[in-house]
Amino acid sequence: MNKKLVDFVQADCGQVIEPAVPMLHALRNQMLYITGGTGFIGTWLAETVAFLNDHYSFNTSLMVVSRDSGKFKDKAPHLATRKDIKLLSVDVKNILDIPSDVSYIVHAAGSPDNRQHVSDPLGVMETITKGTSTVIESALKLTHLKKILNLSSGQIYGRQREDLTAIPEESAGTLNCNTITSVYPEAKRYAETLGCAYWSLYKIPVVNARPFAFIGPYQYLDKPWAVNNLIRDALMNNTIRIIGNGLPMRSYMYPSDMAHWLLRILIDGNPGIAYNVGSPYGISLKDLAEKIKQYSNTKSSILIKNLNEDKSKFIPDDTLCRKSLGLVITVGIDDTIKKSLAWFRETLNSKSSV
Amino acid sequence: MINIIISDATLRDGSHAISHQLTKDQIAAYAKAADAAGIPIVEVGHGNGLGASSLQVGLSLLDDGEMLKTAKENLTHAKLGIHVIPGFATIKKDLARAFELGVDVVRLASHCTEADITERHISYSREKGKEVYGVLMMSHMASKEVLLDEALKMQSYGAEGLIIMDSAGAYLPADVTERIGHLAAHLNIPVGFHAHNNLGMGIANSIAAVEAGAKMLDASARGFGAGAGNAQLEVLVAVLEKMGYQTGIDLYKALDAAEVVESRIMTTVPSIKSESIVSGLSGVFSGFAKHVMIAAKEYGVDPRDIFFELGKRKVVAGQEDIIVEVALALKNKAQSRGK
Repeated sequence: MNKKLVDFVQADCGQVIEPAVPMLHALRNQMLYITGGTGFIGTWLAETVAFLNDHYSFNTSLMVVSRDSGKFKDKAPHLATRKDIKLLSVDVKNILDIPSDVSYIVHAAGSPDNRQHVSDPLGVMETITKGTSTVIESALKLTHLKKILNLSSGQIYGRQREDLTAIPEESAGTLNCNTITSVYPEAKRYAETLGCAYWSLYKIPVVNARPFAFIGPYQYLDKPWAVNNLIRDALMNNTIRIIGNGLPMRSYMYPSDMAHWLLRILIDGNPGIAYNVGSPYGISLKDLAEKIKQYSNTKSSILIKNLNEDKSKFIPDDTLCRKSLGLVITVGIDDTIKKSLAWFRETLNSKSSV
Repeated sequence: MINIIISDATLRDGSHAISHQLTKDQIAAYAKAADAAGIPIVEVGHGNGLGASSLQVGLSLLDDGEMLKTAKENLTHAKLGIHVIPGFATIKKDLARAFELGVDVVRLASHCTEADITERHISYSREKGKEVYGVLMMSHMASKEVLLDEALKMQSYGAEGLIIMDSAGAYLPADVTERIGHLAAHLNIPVGFHAHNNLGMGIANSIAAVEAGAKMLDASARGFGAGAGNAQLEVLVAVLEKMGYQTGIDLYKALDAAEVVESRIMTTVPSIKSESIVSGLSGVFSGFAKHVMIAAKEYGVDPRDIFFELGKRKVVAGQEDIIVEVALALKNKAQSRGK
């Protein structure tokens, strides 16, 4: 990762986190423990903590737990070598003890990559279910514990009901449990309920976040998700292909906003409650493709194949976060796309220059 | 008007019919004719796909690179497609080279219950910006529920469409309606069908697929393909037109392309021979026919018995070596009866 990319992410943190610093003071002199810490979300939380320490002397320490910390060293060497970030290689299912000075836990283990969900369904379910119980059991021994943030998923709602413009947290969802594609969301539902059971029984403070869709630094263009594919096609000057009619509505949050929201939910979220994390501003795939084409200056054309009649929506209702925590999106969809394009272009350039 | 995308398997499935001995001239002539007819996708290669040329399933006359390069040089509008079975084709050795030669469409295939093996190949192909379809072969061997489960995997890996193959020509129209209807109702990506004509159902099954929701069909000029051949492309275009579907293909020029195949490529026009009927009834891959006939002759056994025994053993493409084992077992059985 070159200096330009490091500066890029730090500038993002500055833009979003700086105005929010007063609301993050609870993290000062605390130790955070993040499982699945080398993934997209874990890396962004690490960037944010590093920013708070460097610019606001938060003196927050971070323990990043993952199966393979070597990956983190490759992905973000500037973070891996910091004194305030410790790396620990251990499978989340095998965690025995969490350091006694840990006060906040972010449980982010479990890949959202749907390829992995269908290829290794049992492994995915075990990591989520057993991993969650292992972390909470270990956390029961902590005397300074203030909060556990369990990362669930917006996917637990299944397909968004047609009569809803956005999905509120109390929506019952439309998930069919008898299909291979429900492996991940059903396991996440179980993990939320498990947290609820521990909270009920032991009053251990577990709060849930349900992340929706994000695009930006530390994501990869090989992921089989619409926005990643559209950006990849544009940057490679390939035809930007949309299989259906371009009408499905999605929303995308920039990761610095995501990191900010998650830290605030960790600090101020109410135990036993789940919060949607994602942009409430929907955009059709057709409009998304047009913006990507416009901002990338690509030679690519857009091909709408019209091979299905899909008009689905998948947009979170942000009312709970907005009203109870005062959280709002600060990076709009246009800037999200521009920033993402700049990041991916630079990562492609740095790859080709290796 | 509903648009149906036709993928032309003449220069790939047809390879089976001539033991993979396609020449450069033949590829060039047909690719040019298919391109002129407005056929959207022209598949080219060894019958078993990229990287499959081998003693086990038959050596190609030309290597993959020569075939793809020749075809690409003669296609101006049509997309160049390849059939890829992981195991035969590797990413670094085969796929990367194929992409350098200008392949546009990748059809990633696995046996109908083994979609897991396509993950890396699909991801790599999508990463390179290619149009990628998942293909489930020998689909008659799985229920509609199993097919959907495997199809969902391919969809999750990034396939932009899902095609089920009737590799043994074993389906009747009701079977196709049931499976395609189920897939089309539950997948987010378009569904396609690849017919074989062992029981004379190539066109009827393709139409059943479209009526059940398929948006893509495979076909071959003059039906040039393994066993009794595929759905005959020019007939399919004519029937679809008559039924009010749109293919974007110029029928007259498709008929001209079929003439090219008949006069310059095929040694015999596909017909439904006894072994093809038995292959369809027993549910054995059509491409096994030549190997079965050779083994039957060598061991002095009835090829029809070989087919039914292979059907009982549920053999799949790539298990050609079992044919000899079965022929030998039948011979030994007959001899012990004689004693």
